[in-house]
Amino acid sequence: MSEFITNLFAGFAALTWQSLVMIGIAAFLFYLAIVHNYEPLLLIPIGAGALLANLPLSPLLDEDGMLTVLYNAGVGNELFPLLIFIGIGALTDFSPLLSNPRMVLLGAAGQFGIFGTLLLALALGFSRPEAASIGIIGAIDGPTSIYVSSLLAPQLLGPITVAAYSYMSLVPVIMPPIIRLLTTPAERRIRMEYVTRPVGRRTRILFPIVITIVVGILVPFSIPLIGMLMLGNLMRESGVVERLTNTSSRELANIVTLFLGLAIGSTMEGTRFLQPATLAILALGILAFALDTAAGLLFGKFLNLISRGRFNPVIGAAGISAFPMAARVVQKLVNEEDFENFLLMHAMGANAAGQIASVVAGGVVLALMGAGS
Amino acid sequence: MNDIGFGLTMTVLGMGSVFSVLIVVWGVLVLIGRVDRPETTASATHTLDETQPAAATNQLAPEEIAAIAVAVRLYTASLRREAAPTIRSYWPGSLLFASRWVAAGRTRQNQSWQRRR
Repeated sequence: MSEFITNLFAGFAALTWQSLVMIGIAAFLFYLAIVHNYEPLLLIPIGAGALLANLPLSPLLDEDGMLTVLYNAGVGNELFPLLIFIGIGALTDFSPLLSNPRMVLLGAAGQFGIFGTLLLALALGFSRPEAASIGIIGAIDGPTSIYVSSLLAPQLLGPITVAAYSYMSLVPVIMPPIIRLLTTPAERRIRMEYVTRPVGRRTRILFPIVITIVVGILVPFSIPLIGMLMLGNLMRESGVVERLTNTSSRELANIVTLFLGLAIGSTMEGTRFLQPATLAILALGILAFALDTAAGLLFGKFLNLISRGRFNPVIGAAGISAFPMAARVVQKLVNEEDFENFLLMHAMGANAAGQIASVVAGGVVLALMGAGS
Repeated sequence: MNDIGFGLTMTVLGMGSVFSVLIVVWGVLVLIGRVDRPETTASATHTLDETQPAAATNQLAPEEIAAIAVAVRLYTASLRREAAPTIRSYWPGSLLFASRWVAAGRTRQNQSWQRRR
């Protein structure tokens, strides 16, 4: 009889304080997604994964459990982030960058947070691969963060993904105080001319092909990321595979997002997640975002200097990835000073450059760390 | 200390590499733009007379403009329907533009089959 009762209440017996805390964290993720609308597409599946993984004796984490199967099928081998990149490519319009190619440099400056955070993570005692994985939060691009950290430090995948996606949704909160701190109202009021340079269809089609070849040869480690991003963009710009473009940017992206979220959530098992390292990663993640924004702004100020005051330095902040949110934040802040100042397309150019730069930076980090060797 | 040296090396090499690659990308983008420079035609270079309506609308009959407007509205409505959440019908209470789930009668399974008390 007592054996029956023990079996019946095995769940209660297996309950630990870690699992209870993680169930609370899952509820918090649901709250953020549903009440505050913070990245709900990601945070609901991640929250569900975390909840299901932390319920005592969850069969979903067994060898053949659904969450284990999903993790092995798409996260362990980096498949899911790459599939999402096809959708991102199919959704992204690179024409603001194509009509103003010099903006590409702002994308490079916006990656400083990766390396600044890497330095701090090393100072805090993380190992080199772990520090590089934490630094990559500064790419401000969820799939890139997942791709790089699953190769370098898969044990930190959970907190890194949560930090990357949570802070991405907080871009409108994180960026404005830094922009206000590092720029003067007069700088934010600078107006910039638009050079109306039409972007032809041939250019739009050549762009993804040529960029794949050039970046692929220069940074072979970024081939999976840049290749999938540009494949999606080629499908979009070619205009001949509308069905594939629609599927990649809608159904495929939605399905993979659901699977990815569940798989990532399943890595947030209490005993592994509730470590001091997790808190450090969350703190370093927000610092990575701040450093990226600050570096972009300082580079914008440099361009302002060499252009004799004709370049609005706030555009530099859009050089971080977080496409297209960062550009919208920049436009909003500029409008606070001058309601008739329209810099959105300049900012979109820098933002699109940030998207490419974050992928390049991911490949560079992997190359420097000797991943796969 | 050894790790900090490693981090500084990573920072210098990493940022240097990212800037170098993106400078090459910049050059490539400029090159593509030059290769694919659109031909300047007389109509493209002439200055617009602001007192005249735009050339594109000037060449169209009012019926054609009306037909285009209707087509755009229908296309927008179609996109909006597609974007509607699949768990509810497009318009409250209407099955006319129901989502696939509603059209297939799947949502009815969620309703109670027991008699109301």
